[in-house]
Amino acid sequence: MTRRGFLTTSAGVAAAATGGGLLSGCAGSVSSDKSGGKSGAKAAVTIMSNGTELGEPAAIKAAEKALGLKLTILKYDLTRLTAMLTAGSPPDIVRGQGAVDAPYLAAHGVAQDLDDYFAKSSILKVGDLDPINDVWRYDGTTQGKGPRYGMAKDYSQDNMIWYNTGLFDQAGVENPSDTVPMTYDEVFEKGKALTRTGKKAKVYGLSFAGNTANFLTMIASQGGQLFTDDFSAVDFSSPEGIKALTWYLKLAKAGITPSIANPDPNGWDWPTFQANRMAMATDGYWFGGMVATDKKSAETARFAPAPQFGSTRVSSCSGATGYWMPKAGKNKDAAWAAYEYFLGGAPAKARAESGGGLPALKSLRPLLPQTEAYQKQAYAVQERELPHFSVISFTPYARLDALDAVVNQVMPAAIKGDLAVGKLADQLNSGINKQLANGKKLVK
Amino acid sequence: MILARRTSMYMILIALATLFISPFGWLVITALKNTSELAAYPLHWTPDKWQWSNFSRALTQIPYLAYARNSLTIAVIYSVLVTLSSAWAGFGFARLRARGKGFLFGVLLSTMMMPAMITLIPTYIIFAKTGMVDTYWPWVLWGLSGAPYLIFLFRQFFANMPRELEEAAIIDGCGYGRIFWRIFLPQSWPVLATSLVLSFTWTWGDYIAPSLLLSADHTTLAVAVATEYVTPSTGAPINNLLAAGAVMYIIPVLLLFLVLQKGFVTGSSTSGLK
Repeated sequence: MTRRGFLTTSAGVAAAATGGGLLSGCAGSVSSDKSGGKSGAKAAVTIMSNGTELGEPAAIKAAEKALGLKLTILKYDLTRLTAMLTAGSPPDIVRGQGAVDAPYLAAHGVAQDLDDYFAKSSILKVGDLDPINDVWRYDGTTQGKGPRYGMAKDYSQDNMIWYNTGLFDQAGVENPSDTVPMTYDEVFEKGKALTRTGKKAKVYGLSFAGNTANFLTMIASQGGQLFTDDFSAVDFSSPEGIKALTWYLKLAKAGITPSIANPDPNGWDWPTFQANRMAMATDGYWFGGMVATDKKSAETARFAPAPQFGSTRVSSCSGATGYWMPKAGKNKDAAWAAYEYFLGGAPAKARAESGGGLPALKSLRPLLPQTEAYQKQAYAVQERELPHFSVISFTPYARLDALDAVVNQVMPAAIKGDLAVGKLADQLNSGINKQLANGKKLVK
Repeated sequence: MILARRTSMYMILIALATLFISPFGWLVITALKNTSELAAYPLHWTPDKWQWSNFSRALTQIPYLAYARNSLTIAVIYSVLVTLSSAWAGFGFARLRARGKGFLFGVLLSTMMMPAMITLIPTYIIFAKTGMVDTYWPWVLWGLSGAPYLIFLFRQFFANMPRELEEAAIIDGCGYGRIFWRIFLPQSWPVLATSLVLSFTWTWGDYIAPSLLLSADHTTLAVAVATEYVTPSTGAPINNLLAAGAVMYIIPVLLLFLVLQKGFVTGSSTSGLK
């Protein structure tokens, strides 16, 4: 072969291999579907979800059969979602957190207004929607009003508290009331009394994340607001903001809670709670789904109302994880059929029965588990908490992750004692307002 | 004196080896604990009861072997193709004369400096527009296009081979294709082994590309192990099964390295990188 021939062959091999099908490029399926994902004339719906939250592979196959659709499940990934939206081929249904995502998605014009679909639906009837679904509404200025851009799959009132009666008894601390919310000062005092440090036993008195969503609720509870009226800026320097930050810094500095400066090596609350090393965990009703997996924990775990910071009893939800449909979706009617099935059909009933969250449909509420003592107690406490739910509006100009990134960047210095509360508030304002200003430029 | 010096040297080496292997050791111990022991304090250095069943549960909790098959398919396709195409390109850069060759080689090397994240979204768009999302074609194309580092490795190795070898072959009537296949490629087994190990490991361990391009049903073990050991009701991670899955996930790469390690070491040390 000549030199020229060698170079020509190089190009030829590449072209032949690409065009001629030297190798089968079909992806291998892990399910029993041998068609390699090409199931004839069946309409296809792509859902971007997390783990197995819509069901195990067998449940997805059952859904395909029930719906007569080919369902493709993609792992939720913001980069992939961005790429798909940019390529003009978004998934048909996408996971999201209504409480913090809905205004952003609506303002950026990527989410489909679902009012017409809800109006016609015999499965997801508007009258049956739990008030939590209002976090998925946005009228261009206010969250909680206007068209519906999505619906929760389930939810919790996230500032409620699970506690370990065994640790309360050991420390001689009175259990929280089932009916009267603790004040934040009481939470601090109990947490301090329950905290144990030392070589033999390390117990956190409380877990409290100290993130944007928490401060939003604490400030609202005092009758204040974190965001300005047009949601283009935050003000942590307000008296309400300073009071919330001061309380949290006192808690974190005392080592009562894991924090960004002193994180829990387990990464989240359940393993520590299960190991009898966390007396109070600030987690909503969904945490009961974890308690159900461990009989020992079920004996001592009990549920308490969300504590009250100011004069207003506010028990919000900072997630309301659910699903929305991209406006650019190609197959909306089929997607809606799948939407109805997963959010109002058999999978929704199974989720309600598991106790891993409160159902987003009122009609499913009686399915919540009430067999074990802790389940009965949690159910009763939860029923009394519901009237105190309210939508706390979030900004349409930035994602929660971006705001929390600023909090996580600034907070460690304050917890370690190098930064005064006033300066912390200034740095939070400066960092977050920069994000919001950049975000506002992108919204028409 | 020499004995003391050698002993202290070994002590340091053992300490360093222990330090570097400890994360893997901790992973294995985590894989053998039950869930309540994971967060125990004081720390349990060894499990109270060794939970060997965690490994069988890790295999059945998710379709582990099916994901492993997907990973293996992609890794084999990519590593074989990229090794051959990189050897081919490396041979061209090392042994052929062409105008602008030096410049092209410089451009090729400069692409190694570009973070992969920058090209992620454009790459997705190209594959989406050409209907290759949720297929293994991207790995075929990436394999055929060669990898800059491997081309560099082959080029350095081939450049060090004596010119007389090539000249003798030409006198005997060999073209460049046969020179490459019959003479240079068989001589380059240490670099071939290095290339196979490296490219297999890259693909086996890659999380980003499969999570971007493949659906949950077609994805690889790297993505499945990281995301699917969760409780169905709450989506919370099951850490001991995740650790067991991760331990088993490492095994194929370890085996490949053990089989090819002689070539890997020789390849790295004889390809002009000294």
